Amino acid sequence: MSGEHEAVRDLLAAWAVGALTPADERTVPRHLAACESCAAEAERLRETVRLLDGPRATPSGPTTGPTTGPVNGAGTGRAARGTRDKAPAGRGRPTGEDGPDGRSAGPDGAAGLPPALLAAARRARPAAPRVAAHAAPYAAAVAGLGALLRELDVPGRWSTPVVHDWDVQDTVAHLIAADEPLARLLGLVPRVPRPGGAEKAGWEAAWAARTAEVIAHQRARPPAETVAVWSAQAAALLAAPEAADAGRAGHATTLMGVRLPVADHFVVRAFEAWIHTDDIGRALGLAVPPPPEPHLWQLVRLAVRILGRALGPTAAPVLFAPAGGGSDAQWVLGSEDEPVAAELVLDPVDFCLLIGGRYAPGEVPRGAVGDAAAVTAVLERAASLAWL
Amino acid sequence: MEPTLVDAELHRRLVYGDESALGEAYAAYGGLVRRVALRVTRSQAAAEDVAQEVFAHLWSRPYAFDARRGSLRTWLSMLAHRRAVDWVRSEARHRKDARADDSALHAIPDSGPGPDETVVDRERALLLHSALAELPLPQREVVHLAYFAGRTYRQAAVELGIPEGTAKTRLRSALRKLAESLADPPDPALERGA
Repeated sequence: MSGEHEAVRDLLAAWAVGALTPADERTVPRHLAACESCAAEAERLRETVRLLDGPRATPSGPTTGPTTGPVNGAGTGRAARGTRDKAPAGRGRPTGEDGPDGRSAGPDGAAGLPPALLAAARRARPAAPRVAAHAAPYAAAVAGLGALLRELDVPGRWSTPVVHDWDVQDTVAHLIAADEPLARLLGLVPRVPRPGGAEKAGWEAAWAARTAEVIAHQRARPPAETVAVWSAQAAALLAAPEAADAGRAGHATTLMGVRLPVADHFVVRAFEAWIHTDDIGRALGLAVPPPPEPHLWQLVRLAVRILGRALGPTAAPVLFAPAGGGSDAQWVLGSEDEPVAAELVLDPVDFCLLIGGRYAPGEVPRGAVGDAAAVTAVLERAASLAWL
Repeated sequence: MEPTLVDAELHRRLVYGDESALGEAYAAYGGLVRRVALRVTRSQAAAEDVAQEVFAHLWSRPYAFDARRGSLRTWLSMLAHRRAVDWVRSEARHRKDARADDSALHAIPDSGPGPDETVVDRERALLLHSALAELPLPQREVVHLAYFAGRTYRQAAVELGIPEGTAKTRLRSALRKLAESLADPPDPALERGA
């Protein structure tokens, strides 16, 4: 009896809110009928819950209809919970409404939102603009960085060191400079004055000089202004006809030392924006999720092409298979005329971080079989692209 | 998919500005959020306003939710409860002001006690909900799952990744604390809505 007394006493709060399992539903009332101290405690807790509940007539409460039970869960909840516990193990989901099911709500799931809510949400933060597939990763990356930068409304957070000798504001300023070549190509006017005049020889020198110039210019300004400049330029890029129409983004141009169709330059912009967002997230201690799955694979495919080009046609061939990519996401890097010397498996996110220079070649988690030297050559080449 | 993975995936899409993810979050948790808000505010209109605030916040500040630290269900439920308590407090302030103004004595009938509820009960309920909002996070999570979201203590334990006994203990400590808050004299800071 005292064993039951202890057990039931521990259950009284669950009983009062109607959160017992079906088995407990039998033992608890039996004990309460026999044990005065438990009955007193139960009554006290139940009265508390009754006050939390408020009057019975809650128009859209979870349970309706007259019941014999005195309060919320202990009466009406019992039957419902009895069925809940018969649900498949590990899934405490009583109804279709109350819980995520991982299914898509259709092409425009936002349509299920009450109009006032949708309007309020859009006022608070615009959705990523709808653009053609090649620009979608950039649109998402811009939205993602924007979301992260909203977390900087705490004094002092802007000066958190990020990468190189940049703080958060400098990193955003760098992105203004980094997005600029594509913006200029699309006929957009630079948003930060270009006093330099003479173009530096070689894209790397010019790029570094422009980054330094923009950072110096922005340091004299409040961070909100830097964000506004970056965000306006990004919005202009996404509003360009080349973002909406793949047909207008097909011509190849050399930007920052890489000759690619304009469409792919949009993917490069997404890559860089995401890498720096991840940098900022790490600096702030916030976990930046990887790009949405389809976008992640767009980044991987582009990076594989650039890596393959960099390795050249004579490198020892390595079969590269990013994890989770399936059979149509495997590539032989290097020579096509020799048998494959090794196989390399990387997580797609790790591969992107390696390409972005965020992993040392020896440190990236990998699965590899075959010629170790060939694998090392691929990893080292990937890490040394340093294009972002 | 594991519930935590579903949350993480939804969060990922919210972060990257995918509006359809907000629609899915609303379809999954809109009912719970409105229910929680209604229980505190006793006003259908206020509950809708709170729900709007809660989901607009999820959308505009997706990084406020961290899938590593708890489920989206609990997070939204707690946010709705907190906002609803704030709504009632500010409503109480307005009523006091209105009373001082005399002419607008019955300007806000919506939040008044319903036919089944006495003024004293209404005040005690607000006191309890205020105390609930102040519970330590681990206790508050269990209360939200077991009380608002209709989980058994066993399901709550699974969802929170804690032993069953811990869930029972937390629920009990929480409810006792709430019961005691009724016995204690009301905190003047809460009365002022501070």
